[in-house]
Amino acid sequence: MENRETTLSSEKSLEIISEMINRTKMNIRHGAFHLLFWGWLVALLSLSEYFLDRFTTFEHPWWVWGLTIPGIFVSMIYGYRQGSRQAVQSYTERIYKWIWLAFIVALSTLFVFLGVNEMMHKVGPFILLFAAFAVFLSGIVIKFKPLIFGAICIWVFSVFGIFAGPSIAPLAVPAAVITGYLVPGYMLKNSETKNGKV
Amino acid sequence: MAKYKNLDPILHSQLRLAVVSILMNVDAADFTYIKEQTEATAGNLSVQISKLKDAGYIEVEKKFKGNYPQTRCLITPLGRERFEAYVNDLKGYISGS
Repeated sequence: MENRETTLSSEKSLEIISEMINRTKMNIRHGAFHLLFWGWLVALLSLSEYFLDRFTTFEHPWWVWGLTIPGIFVSMIYGYRQGSRQAVQSYTERIYKWIWLAFIVALSTLFVFLGVNEMMHKVGPFILLFAAFAVFLSGIVIKFKPLIFGAICIWVFSVFGIFAGPSIAPLAVPAAVITGYLVPGYMLKNSETKNGKV
Repeated sequence: MAKYKNLDPILHSQLRLAVVSILMNVDAADFTYIKEQTEATAGNLSVQISKLKDAGYIEVEKKFKGNYPQTRCLITPLGRERFEAYVNDLKGYISGS
């Protein structure tokens, strides 16, 4: 790029601004990884809990949720490594990161006070309310509509989990993460392959 | 050119405008990153960054990352304010033309 001060028109100025802003937009790879990782982990754990509870004599099916603790470390290590490799961090990425860190803090607080016990059955739908909040804000921040629709699905399944009978309510969590994390997560990943950035 | 005489002369230049546009969107950016994005030569970019720094529009930090020197640039509140004013002035010119 040269520095031609005498020929710069207002249209050219706006073109430069627009081009530079587009080049620094958020790289969505990291967002897709976390959605897919947590989508699969929570779907598998909630289905495991459901099947252990319904079809075995195992007394503590909620123990499976203890695996979310190493999951948090995996997510944090991945995020730290990706962050240290990046040349710059856009404001969008910073907001996106803080939304999810706030979600992890809220969730960790809940686990610390409740512990991993039979209460997991009851708090599951309320945890979905937190998750939907984070997914919805992420969708707004990166302007990705499937995430916004995913958040709405999570809210719907959260209400379903609260009011449905005990025999089918536990299925609200896997249904919510499949529609609210995995589907938009894969769409985000495909969008990344096509465009690289959002 | 007389048509644009009221536009901020510090920003109304191709490379300086590109540098400030990048810095408006990120926390901070190192020299190499800005050079890659603007496709400018190192010499020309250094000169323009110095002009922006002297005008108080950006801050330049020099430090070491591992064993390598790193020059990081970030926009100042004044730079942000002048960039927003510049964009508003541009909009005025375009809507008035």
